[in-house]
Amino acid sequence: MITKCKNIIYGALRFLTVSFICAILVSVLPSGNVYAQNSGMAIKGKVIDAQSQAPLPGVNIVVKGTTNGTATGKNGNYQLSNVGRNDTLVYSYIGYVTQFIPVNGKRVINVSLKTRTIKGQEMVVVGYGVQKKSDLTGSITSIQSKDFNKGVHTSVDQLLQGKVAGARIVENSGEPGSGLSVSIRGASSVNAGTGPLYVIDGMPIDNSSAVSGTGSGFVGSRSGSSPLSSLNPNDIASIEVLKDASATAIYGARGANGVIIITTKHGTKGKMKVDYNASAGFQSPANTMNVLSPQQYKSVKNAIIAEGGGSPADKVGTLSNNGQGTDWQSQIYNNQALIQNQNLSISAGNDKTQYLISLNYTNQDGIIKTSGFKRYGGRVNLTSDLNDKFHVGFNLSATYSKNNFAPVGYGLNEYAGAMYTAINWDPSKPVYDSNGNYYVDPTLSMDNPLAIIHGSNSYKNTYRYFGTAYGTYDILPYLSVKINVGGDVTSQRRDTYINRLTKIGRATGGEATILQGQLSNYLIEGTTTFHKSFGPNDLKVLAGITTQKFLTDRSSESASGFSSDATTTNNIGLGDQLTYGIGSSKYGSRLLSYIGRLNYTFHDKYLLTATFRADGSSKFGSNHKYGYFPSFALGWKLKQEKFLKNVDFISNMKLRASWGQTGNDEIGNFLSMTTFGSGANAIWNNNPTVGLSPTRLPNPNIQWETTNQTDIGLDFGFFNDRLNGSIDYYQKKTFNMLLNLPVPKSSGFGVQTQNIGSIKNSGFELSLTSYNISSRNLQWNTNLNVSTLKNEVTNLGGIPQIISGGAGFTNQIFVTQVGLPLRSYYGYKVIGVWQKGDDFSKTKDNVHPGDLKYLDVNGDGTVNAADRVPLGSSFPKYTFSLDNTFSYKNFSLDVFIEGVQGIKMLNNNLVDTYFPVQFRRNVIAKPYLNRWTPSNPSNKYPSFVTPLDQGQKGVNSYTVEDASYVRLKSVQLSYTVPREALHNVINSLEISLTGENLYTLTNYQGIDPAVNSNGNANARIDYNTYPLPRTFTLGLKLGF
Amino acid sequence: MSSINRSEFLKLLAGGGFGMFFFSSCKNILQEQPYSQIAPGNLLTSQDGVTAVLASAYGNANAISKYFVNDLSEWCTDLSWQTNGGENREAVLYINFNWDPSAGGLNNYYNNYYGAIRDANTILDNKDQMSKIANADELIAEARFVRALSYQYLHLMFGPTPLRKSNNDKLDLPKASESDMLSFIESEYKAVISTLPDPGKEAAYGRATSGAARGLLCKFYLNTKQWQKAADMAKEIINMGYYNLFPNFMDMLKVSNEGNREMIWVFPYSAKGHGGQEANLIANGTFPPGFQKWPRTGLVMQSNWNNWASQYRLRDAFYNSFDPNDDRIKPIMTEYINAKGNTINLLNTKDDTRSFRYWPDPNAQGNFHGNDIPAVRYADILLTRAEALNELNGPNQESIDLINQVRTRAGMSNLQLSGFSSKDALRSHILLERGWEFYDEGKRREDLIRMGKFIEYAHNRGVSHADSHQVLYPIPQPAIDANPNLKQNPGY
Repeated sequence: MITKCKNIIYGALRFLTVSFICAILVSVLPSGNVYAQNSGMAIKGKVIDAQSQAPLPGVNIVVKGTTNGTATGKNGNYQLSNVGRNDTLVYSYIGYVTQFIPVNGKRVINVSLKTRTIKGQEMVVVGYGVQKKSDLTGSITSIQSKDFNKGVHTSVDQLLQGKVAGARIVENSGEPGSGLSVSIRGASSVNAGTGPLYVIDGMPIDNSSAVSGTGSGFVGSRSGSSPLSSLNPNDIASIEVLKDASATAIYGARGANGVIIITTKHGTKGKMKVDYNASAGFQSPANTMNVLSPQQYKSVKNAIIAEGGGSPADKVGTLSNNGQGTDWQSQIYNNQALIQNQNLSISAGNDKTQYLISLNYTNQDGIIKTSGFKRYGGRVNLTSDLNDKFHVGFNLSATYSKNNFAPVGYGLNEYAGAMYTAINWDPSKPVYDSNGNYYVDPTLSMDNPLAIIHGSNSYKNTYRYFGTAYGTYDILPYLSVKINVGGDVTSQRRDTYINRLTKIGRATGGEATILQGQLSNYLIEGTTTFHKSFGPNDLKVLAGITTQKFLTDRSSESASGFSSDATTTNNIGLGDQLTYGIGSSKYGSRLLSYIGRLNYTFHDKYLLTATFRADGSSKFGSNHKYGYFPSFALGWKLKQEKFLKNVDFISNMKLRASWGQTGNDEIGNFLSMTTFGSGANAIWNNNPTVGLSPTRLPNPNIQWETTNQTDIGLDFGFFNDRLNGSIDYYQKKTFNMLLNLPVPKSSGFGVQTQNIGSIKNSGFELSLTSYNISSRNLQWNTNLNVSTLKNEVTNLGGIPQIISGGAGFTNQIFVTQVGLPLRSYYGYKVIGVWQKGDDFSKTKDNVHPGDLKYLDVNGDGTVNAADRVPLGSSFPKYTFSLDNTFSYKNFSLDVFIEGVQGIKMLNNNLVDTYFPVQFRRNVIAKPYLNRWTPSNPSNKYPSFVTPLDQGQKGVNSYTVEDASYVRLKSVQLSYTVPREALHNVINSLEISLTGENLYTLTNYQGIDPAVNSNGNANARIDYNTYPLPRTFTLGLKLGF
Repeated sequence: MSSINRSEFLKLLAGGGFGMFFFSSCKNILQEQPYSQIAPGNLLTSQDGVTAVLASAYGNANAISKYFVNDLSEWCTDLSWQTNGGENREAVLYINFNWDPSAGGLNNYYNNYYGAIRDANTILDNKDQMSKIANADELIAEARFVRALSYQYLHLMFGPTPLRKSNNDKLDLPKASESDMLSFIESEYKAVISTLPDPGKEAAYGRATSGAARGLLCKFYLNTKQWQKAADMAKEIINMGYYNLFPNFMDMLKVSNEGNREMIWVFPYSAKGHGGQEANLIANGTFPPGFQKWPRTGLVMQSNWNNWASQYRLRDAFYNSFDPNDDRIKPIMTEYINAKGNTINLLNTKDDTRSFRYWPDPNAQGNFHGNDIPAVRYADILLTRAEALNELNGPNQESIDLINQVRTRAGMSNLQLSGFSSKDALRSHILLERGWEFYDEGKRREDLIRMGKFIEYAHNRGVSHADSHQVLYPIPQPAIDANPNLKQNPGY
């Protein structure tokens, strides 16, 4: 089977190449759509409602492909001049089905428009099938490509950011191609993964990186790059976010964190369509860290020394660069980083076969020097009816992408990256020494930021081949079978070389690392669908069996001690043989599952959905190989009932309720087995000697964790759906939680993964769409999403607390405790500043006037670990977004605002500011500029004369900051060139200007309240964060 | 359903059969394959396999690190302290006697030693499977040695802790009694002395010898005030005739002199190792700000060395306690030239002189230096017997002679028995002598506690809230949280 998949993929690649060449040839030929110019004539008529026969005022009528148009008057009458005999008139009115009527020489055209439920008839992709939106009983948000976030994006998640109530999508870094953490309806696990399952064209994928690690000596970001960046966003037709158990239970042991279904575009019947769109623009940091300027640095530091801080040797003298000093951050930023994206797609087909071919090129330079992302992608999607019963299709894509990484991570001091050093470096010093080399300061235990940037090179090449193929056979009109196979293979190689520009490179003689990895994932499944109506009954049954196999292979090579930096990783054997390091690993797992679903509709009013999945996984203990996941949902179309049928202002009303069980199998392999892996190394004969030790305390009972989810929702539409939306309340209770339960340490093990404990998430979600103005020339639409979230740990298996988290020198950041949100911040509460008149006899701690005063919770006269209190969590109270689209004639303006309220983040750079590890480091400006002095007895900011004397209480109510914000996320202005202006050379042309990350309203002091460099949206730490770019792009869309 | 005719039924069957075909061939489809990890069955029956597990036991027992030497054993004493750097966050807890069960370093120390005990027990639980291994007895003796050493170093910090003799013991063991702890450690060392190779005969430098077992047991007797046994064991070691004093105190701990015959047991480190368990990190914090050159010794900063923000500083009272002619003052830097070419006198700032006992490794890789940290050296054995005999008999000539051996190497004049009128007087001198001899070796805390001075000296330094319960460190909080049967040490 594996060979088969490979053959399919290689075949497809050949096909893709050939097709591409053909397509280019075809596209340069003139399009044959030339028709004679018509002389004008006048047309009149009346437009009425098809059902009530009432005249419809305000209906837009336009000659297709032109801006020539009018609207109906009070009595539904209209008149339009200058219409050609062969033109087509388009009648559109909000809430009604648009009609296209060819003139054919007629002078009077009367039209009756049928109402439509705007949202009702759309098809929505669900697990293992599609469903009419009006028949859904589960909570699913469907986003079509036209509603994706504006601008150029490298990863699919970015398209959805802020668009889906209940889905939090948090950037981990502003680095091009970097990962995002996505959580749907909170976090239901302490130790297992909390990210959703991604399903691309029917195939669930393994969303991990083939290569892990960054390479020796390279300070890589904690969160890594996004595996989804190898999917071209332009290829995507729609994304469905499955939220409640009725929707996700069909994915069983992988459904608990929600499911994101990505469907790629397909060819359409008719004449060949060629679309080319391109955009290009500039990026600059949306915000930078506000540290002391060189002048402020000098005056503040010297004032602190005068008051007894630091030491006289630390006094700041003349500023370099003729008294200007150095703004280190601006040294590492690229304020005009280029971004460009080009996409060509060709789609065509006849009644039997349709195909789509697309090509993509994306190139994004990072706003920190040397970083960037490039992607070349190609796709062929094809569907064909071999006969009227047998249908086949396949989707194939191949992508090459390259990430260039900036050395930005959590390393510090001698092993710090560029961001840390740029924030911390002494601004009074120069960039270069008198010899033109990067200046190194012997009193700062850090390398020069530019030396780090230019001396630490790391890039990753990724090749991803993804293909699915299916065949369906309609045995009977009401019975069909489907076979679906798929393969997803990612090959990655990361090369890292630290050269002699850096201190590390000089100490080791150059350090080279090659990391390679391959992820593969194969799927085979067969499903049978039965669909039949019996009178008022409509019954649809799906049954199937599916299996999937995952394999991960990794290897690494490293060496240092090169005689020259010239060959880098291209000839790793030239390093000192004594420094060679090699390693490899392989993991695999397998799923075998049985699925079933029943949809029953009675009188098109009452809906019932029941699903079931039996999931077997090799990861689970021998005693629990199979898990069973049922769900039930009911829907009631209230609008169809007599009592609402004639209530005109209500156009849609449906009540939904669902309950179901889903699981989470996102745990490591081998948990049920005793195995030996690398242990501590002994030093024998002065050489590290590899030791082996038992890897874990095995748990033969290990199984999935289970989430019970209840959802109650209401879908509604008013005034012909001019105002429509849905509201949901959900409650998710996870039990048998996969918890790395602390075990007595005398066992030699820290934890054992057990199924114990529980956690609860609940919240409201509201989505609202409103067509505020819909006149012929002016339209204004608004989309609003609001969601609330409450997360609470309800059981920890008898363990009082689990303390975790570390960044830089800060550790023990989070506490997980019953009654609190998962991983609440845990630290000291600052209650002010010690003042001169205070009674110092009450404290045993080494404090002076001007030092921070912490709350002594137990009143024992000393502030120590026993005085720590919970300081909030990473879960927002409210998340909202507001999208307004204004269209005037051919202009369109889209303004997207999003925000989060009631959320915290540990600002670890602020910890370094409050507790500087060296006096001559730079610091965040505000606390120092407003610091306590005898003449300015602030009760907020300390004096910083003796910042370390009472011990460093890094996690405190100052450093755990409120990270609420409201952001003008994007504004796009676009103009569609009128068709008559195109003179039939091309079919359509749209020009747009987009700005992203334009303005943020927040009290947060770090670089960005929305970016979480810790890489886990439920445990947010901001440290040396790569800033988000502010981007301006000019876009062009051409249709041939 | 009646409308399904025969041929359609067959097609349905065929379709279903096609689907089933894929799955029928995969019988043990859900059996997990360990691929890159080793199953226990074949590992512990081979010499290489057992040796690899033993290596991990030794590696975990190397948890001694700078944290043990500095934070736990010296910064809380009259010898030294620390400022600046991220390390300061925990260091101030020890400097100011404010430590609590949440301290991260204590937790690592505790977990590492229990990791070593787990690895040793993995071998010992598997003794029966090792019949085909030629040197099985020696490997078993080494495992018992590492386990005894681990319990000894746990006991030194925490007092009695759970005594796990097999990995099959129940998980939630409570603390052992003091007497069980003492007798277990003693009997284990005694049991392996005759099986372990004699010093110089061990398979690799860094592995156990009979001398190492005797030396560690001798120190264990001393610290648990079993004076007669300590004196006897010291004598036994002296009588081995293998060990002697390295002639030059200044060079004793240089990487180039590793394995000299003064070293009875060391925690071995290598510049090729990574992290505090494999390499010595102390030199990084010893360099003063902007260090370029030490004129007196000619030490010049190398590009492969790091100079940390963290500053490891000796206290002036300790520095001033030296006789200026004592060779043992030589590794202490008081003056240096910084990168700007200025000469900095460290005696001008309070408590700021630097100990270069661990002479920077010329081949260090960044943070990682190769200097071993001595656990037991011959001078310690001599002073142990001197101290034990004084505790047993008061001042006596043999004690004075033993101390004079150590003083002679340092170029100091001999002491006279007549100079010590009482047991207390000689004990006080031994404490001074031990300070001069063993600074930077992590011995100060145990010496002060043994002589009842740990809390008193803290009070003398102005740490008025230091309390007698602090002679034991608290059991780390995560260990308490995970085991309801484990009770915290009194006072925490």
